[in-house]
Amino acid sequence: MKSKLSGFAIAATVLIGTAAAHAQDIKLGVIAGMSGPGTSYGIGIRQGAEMAVKEINAGGGVKGRKIALVVVDDASNPAQSVTAMQRLVSEKVDLIVGGWGSSQVLANMEVAERAGIPYVVVGATNPKITTDKNKWTFRVIPADSDQAEQIAEAAVKRLGMKRIAVVHDVNDYGVGNRDVFLASLKKLGLEPVTVVSYQSNDKDFTAQLSRVGSSNADGLAIFGTIPAAPAMMNQARDLGIKARFIGTGGLANENLMTLAPKASEGTVLTTLFHEDVDADAKAWSQRFVKEFSGAAQPARPILAAYEYRAIKTIAAPCLASAGTDRDKLRQCIGSFKGRMFGIPGEVSFSKTGQLQQQSVFVEVGNGAFQAFKGK
Amino acid sequence: MFSQIVIGGFATGCIYAVVGLGFTLVYRTLRMVNFAQGQVFMAGAFLGLTIAQKLPMPTPLLLATVGASAFVLGLALERLIFRRLYHNHEVFIVGSIGLGIILTNSIRIMFPEPVPFPKVFGSEVIQIGSARIPETSVWIVICTVLLVVLLHALFTYTRTGRALRAVAADAETAGAVGVNVSRAIGLTFGLSCAVAAIAGVLIGPLYFVSFDMGDMVGLKAFAAAVFGGINSIPGTILGGVVIGVLENIAGGYISSAYKDLVAFVILLVTLVWRPSGLLGRETPVKV
Repeated sequence: MKSKLSGFAIAATVLIGTAAAHAQDIKLGVIAGMSGPGTSYGIGIRQGAEMAVKEINAGGGVKGRKIALVVVDDASNPAQSVTAMQRLVSEKVDLIVGGWGSSQVLANMEVAERAGIPYVVVGATNPKITTDKNKWTFRVIPADSDQAEQIAEAAVKRLGMKRIAVVHDVNDYGVGNRDVFLASLKKLGLEPVTVVSYQSNDKDFTAQLSRVGSSNADGLAIFGTIPAAPAMMNQARDLGIKARFIGTGGLANENLMTLAPKASEGTVLTTLFHEDVDADAKAWSQRFVKEFSGAAQPARPILAAYEYRAIKTIAAPCLASAGTDRDKLRQCIGSFKGRMFGIPGEVSFSKTGQLQQQSVFVEVGNGAFQAFKGK
Repeated sequence: MFSQIVIGGFATGCIYAVVGLGFTLVYRTLRMVNFAQGQVFMAGAFLGLTIAQKLPMPTPLLLATVGASAFVLGLALERLIFRRLYHNHEVFIVGSIGLGIILTNSIRIMFPEPVPFPKVFGSEVIQIGSARIPETSVWIVICTVLLVVLLHALFTYTRTGRALRAVAADAETAGAVGVNVSRAIGLTFGLSCAVAAIAGVLIGPLYFVSFDMGDMVGLKAFAAAVFGGINSIPGTILGGVVIGVLENIAGGYISSAYKDLVAFVILLVTLVWRPSGLLGRETPVKV
């Protein structure tokens, strides 16, 4: 009872306007968990938005109109996420770029859909977000269905794993990943040696890991996020589990190495962004790290890259051509087709609003994400 | 696998037990439940973290420093807040919940993200049979035993301890025979904060520390105290260990989705079947 009480009592939203909004300013809403378990992701999203908007405004804005950011913190909590989104609606933002956590986005996208505001999701991967039901919601990061399928294939074909155990969060992200991963393994002719679950706020994983240990797994797929995933990695190594870790975008966070410096070594995962993919990505990363080094929060480039590109490459050109008429804006975003730095080839949205693209594989080595070159 | 699960649960159970002791101490004296206990545990972990980072010191000294600081904090909280609340149980419960929320959010402002805790107990792993136990878990158990022995010695052999017991048994009579009742109540809060904060430092190195770490531990420690008998120190220790072990067994063999359920099913069954708990007494009247 009490945790619920404290949950509601925590101020649901934090409002940060980067500049005093003028009547003609375009209002860009940013929603994400900037406290709670999603903090490190949410901060990245905010940083990406700040950088993109700063650059656009420094270049004269969009057709002379400045962009004003309206940032709300949903405390990484689905219930508060709805309140935070309602806040954006009542602030009359023209569009929203952000969202972290599948459970939060599944809850708050309903609010945006009902209000009829274009919502570009950058930080949630559950397949259920982009279906034939969403009209106003788009997503620029790959869905679990793509990532989990690709990591299953890499585990079997490139890493040669034969006994794969699965540990997943019971939230929408974890279960979504598990389902696709297991289906993909089956197609590859493999059954998992064990499948166990945990809750996002769990701290002690000995019970789950004991099952993994006794299953004698050579690979452990972790479908979860920070801080549970690195905690589990530390405890797994303490328990003598030698299985190599694999995972998807939930692990793609620099905090993985901060919290599990030794245990995370060798982890192979699909990520959302890596600076070594192309020269533009490299140049952007350097600019980004420079911009936020020395800030109160360390630079968190991965989701920032999506936020930045969604604003600069998709939102800003559409705001220029379609203006702030919401329906025209929605149509313009949906018909986007073109290049985005850090992603090989051209990308475009599917009918369900999912931006289609190739995943990037990385491996943790020397405390950093390295492009995965293993066979 | 079984021994691993039991040992892991035993260490966690010790933490529930120590945090639960805080509930017990206050309850014995005031017949009231301080729901900020879990948040004091969390704040203790962050206090330990800050001290360990800024001023590295031997671990026993760190535990003593955190315990002493929390003791003083408890005295201060009693003097400034609790003293004005414990005239009425409802007011006290709501007030302590509010205090817990304030503590959580104050820490959240400073530490929005989970932080790794220095390995103040070493990072060896001890192999016993097929089970592998982090050194920290062993120290958790040792420190729990030490704490209980110390508390027992305090209550049995010191004048202050006897005064506390007298107040717990009957505050009015104790006051009439010259025991300083408000001082005794202050000391009780000091002690309850001290044990919770020490528990925070004990568990820190095993996991990360985060502002919300006290919510669930506080509730489970409360369940442990009620299960064992909220007016009984041995009962609370027993309750904590039993809940820790049982929830880990449930997590390992049934499904970890039901792990948290165990503590609360136990709590509910206890409340219905034996409201005074395993070792608690119905009417704790002592002379």
